[in-house]
Amino acid sequence: MTANRGQGATTETRTDSSTESVTERVAGSPGVDDAVIESRDLKVFYGDDQALQGIDMEIPEKQVTALIGPSGCGKSTYLRSINRMNDLIDVARVEGDLYFHGKNVYDDDVDPVALRRKVGMVFQKPNPFPKSIFDNVAYGLRVQGKDDGDVEGKVRQALERAALLDEVEDQLDSSGLDLSGGQQQRLCIARAIATDPEVVLMDEPASALDPVATSKIEDLVEELSRNYTVVIVTHNMQQAARISDKTAVFLTGGHLAEFDDTSKIFENPESQRVEDYITGKFG
Amino acid sequence: MARKSYQEQLEELREDVCYMGEVVMERLRMGLDAIEQKDEDLAQEVIEGDGEVNRMYLDLEKDCIDLLALQQPVASDLRFIASTFKIITDLERVGDLAVNLGEYTKDAERDLFPDVDVQTMGDLTLEMIDDAMVAYDTENVEQCRDLAVRDDDLDHYAERASGIVVRDLIERELGSPDEAELLLQDVSRLLLTIRDLERVGDHAVNIAARTLYMVENDDELIY
Repeated sequence: MTANRGQGATTETRTDSSTESVTERVAGSPGVDDAVIESRDLKVFYGDDQALQGIDMEIPEKQVTALIGPSGCGKSTYLRSINRMNDLIDVARVEGDLYFHGKNVYDDDVDPVALRRKVGMVFQKPNPFPKSIFDNVAYGLRVQGKDDGDVEGKVRQALERAALLDEVEDQLDSSGLDLSGGQQQRLCIARAIATDPEVVLMDEPASALDPVATSKIEDLVEELSRNYTVVIVTHNMQQAARISDKTAVFLTGGHLAEFDDTSKIFENPESQRVEDYITGKFG
Repeated sequence: MARKSYQEQLEELREDVCYMGEVVMERLRMGLDAIEQKDEDLAQEVIEGDGEVNRMYLDLEKDCIDLLALQQPVASDLRFIASTFKIITDLERVGDLAVNLGEYTKDAERDLFPDVDVQTMGDLTLEMIDDAMVAYDTENVEQCRDLAVRDDDLDHYAERASGIVVRDLIERELGSPDEAELLLQDVSRLLLTIRDLERVGDHAVNIAARTLYMVENDDELIY
């Protein structure tokens, strides 16, 4: 079941380079006026198994959207479908549409690598390269040929936005692997935003961190949403409640049960199944 | 069921609040009986019993805070605890109003206004508190809305009763200064009794309002 209590959830979106426009009420949307990502009937299959069951959702620009739900509900699959990370899995197959600024990212003329420059990703386990802190952040700039200008300035800005610069300013030449787990994760966030993406996807970015490091990541997520659209998968419902503006609840079988303002989801959800899940009566 | 212990704590909280409601109603009943029978011993019992009500209130307040801090309740659980937190304050205040009845009894020596039926008004308020607590326990939203209507009737009753007292005071010959002073005290006491009973009705509506919010996320009776 998808909830649709949105007000003015009507959106107009260009579906492709032709001028065909689509105007339709999008089920599962809380009425997003400034959606940057929009999925329509998005289905993902792993071989014969269907991991997502026709997801309709609009993700607002420069806000934090949390995806929550029990293990195997499809929330990470949805996240990875946004920047076509599922392309890397041989048996994965995608049906339906996923628009980024109105352009279907699964169109043939979309280069996944170019897409991922605009839609960066941070993973559960910090994965810095075995390089210096500076080179970790500069890596993406160099790969993209953006190292012709002020690389140092861009690296410092990314580290500052990732709330790490103050802690590593005197050790930029040290290995990224020498940092603590929380610092490594913020280094990965710096690396992800150095190339100036519009969207940052985060797949349980704090689940491997201690409470203090987790708090820093949560503060950072809130800060990042001033400049970026953040979509975060988390198993920690209180974390979703603390840091997100919108929450999508996926339930077993890859269904989007409810998508709404986070305060609405955690104070008075429409769906009884969502109520049961977030109050811990099942799952 | 997941989080079994947590669910049991919620149910225990509900039961404890209902028990506090029963104790408070008993105190109110005793206060009304003390007035009717001019029973100073009973009045003293009500006054001294307020400590128990206050302790129950503080214990339940701590239970609510513990649940909020340790279990991070959400959705209907959050509304239940938030509503309960408010409802126990209303019950504690009703306990204080019962104490007032005891104190009025101890001060009163005569009954100058037989036309003012404090007992009937007291019965109405007791029924309202009882129904409010049943509505809370059984999550009966219709009963909640019904209580708001009944409170209007209680307010009219209180207004009429106050009118009788004031009119009688105007028409009555005051006599000596001592007699006038005594009369003034009688009138003040009776008007305060009427006001306190009317406030018990207000607390019943508060309980109903929070219950309605708890069950349906509906704040129409709160504001």
